[in-house]
Amino acid sequence: MRRWLNIAARLILAAIFLVAAYAKIKEPWLQFAVSIDSFKLVPEKYLEPMAIWLPRCELALGIALLSGIAVRWFGLIATLLLATFVGAAARAYAMGLTPDCGCFGAGGGDMLGPKWFAEHGAMVLLGLAVSFGGFAAERAPKPAPELVPVGD
Amino acid sequence: MKSFLLLLPVAVILVAQTPLVAQTPAAAPKKAVIQKAALTQTNFKESGSPSAPITVELYTDYECPACREFYLSTLPLLTNDFVKTGKVRLLHRDYPLPQHQFTKLATRYANAAGQIGKYDVVAHQIFESQPDWDQNGNIDVQVAKVLSPAEMEKVRNLVKTDSNLDDSVAKDQAMGAQDRLNQTPTLVIVYKGKRETIGGLLSYTILKSYLDKKLEQ
Repeated sequence: MRRWLNIAARLILAAIFLVAAYAKIKEPWLQFAVSIDSFKLVPEKYLEPMAIWLPRCELALGIALLSGIAVRWFGLIATLLLATFVGAAARAYAMGLTPDCGCFGAGGGDMLGPKWFAEHGAMVLLGLAVSFGGFAAERAPKPAPELVPVGD
Repeated sequence: MKSFLLLLPVAVILVAQTPLVAQTPAAAPKKAVIQKAALTQTNFKESGSPSAPITVELYTDYECPACREFYLSTLPLLTNDFVKTGKVRLLHRDYPLPQHQFTKLATRYANAAGQIGKYDVVAHQIFESQPDWDQNGNIDVQVAKVLSPAEMEKVRNLVKTDSNLDDSVAKDQAMGAQDRLNQTPTLVIVYKGKRETIGGLLSYTILKSYLDKKLEQ
């Protein structure tokens, strides 16, 4: 049962990253650069590379999570990425800014607010669950190999 | 009776200027008049070379603070580096947002000024003085600061009486719906027949980099 829950959590997390990546990649990178800039956190010279590469990293992460390879590490990277994102949003919110998150492309109605923080907080928890699930599965005692009598 | 006859030409002129009479002639001339009006109204919103490889369509709302910031800080740089050099053709589009009380009136003033060849100076003044009129709607006072009394009188008359003044606005809004606008300011970058909608306040540095890359392609 626990194993299936881990798989479901991993697939949901993978889907979130794939959808977010696709929504941004299909748009001109300038649109995502505008969204990043609205957080007033990233220096202008980094906006372009970030707007181009971050969606590609999300795509790679989504594919990695979907594949099930090194789940604990990719789950951890996903959690850190989401937590960084939520941290940046919390800073902007505290400063009274109303940035367009742009998480799922422009015009996704992703304005910061309690609902946004609840949703993204849940995603961070999901990431943690996937990562810890991966570590727990790694530590779980493996069944002993079947002994085969020598000489048979 | 004599005084009635004297008043008759005045009455005819007044009636002739009302929209009701302007709509009564046959359908074909009416259409031609509207098309001509719309054409005149949009021409003054265009700048730059018609053969420029990129067209930038700028959707703004006169009462939106982010549009003001874009208009006053980014647009002059865009105009200098790209429009005046023939790389970009710029087209202003009106997108008055329903939550803004005075934006439609501001748009009428700007478009009326466009009819007398003063669009740029009045649009600039309306944006610049936005903090002064967005509480009381007194746009007239602000526009009067940049026009001569004679010009101002013409603009006031057009704002009050020209029923075709909003035609280009309706067209811009329809276009905005096609471009899936959900905020102002929004830029639509048209390059090789493809329209890219970029919503939000963008810095000039990043816009320049984007346009430069398009031109290098």
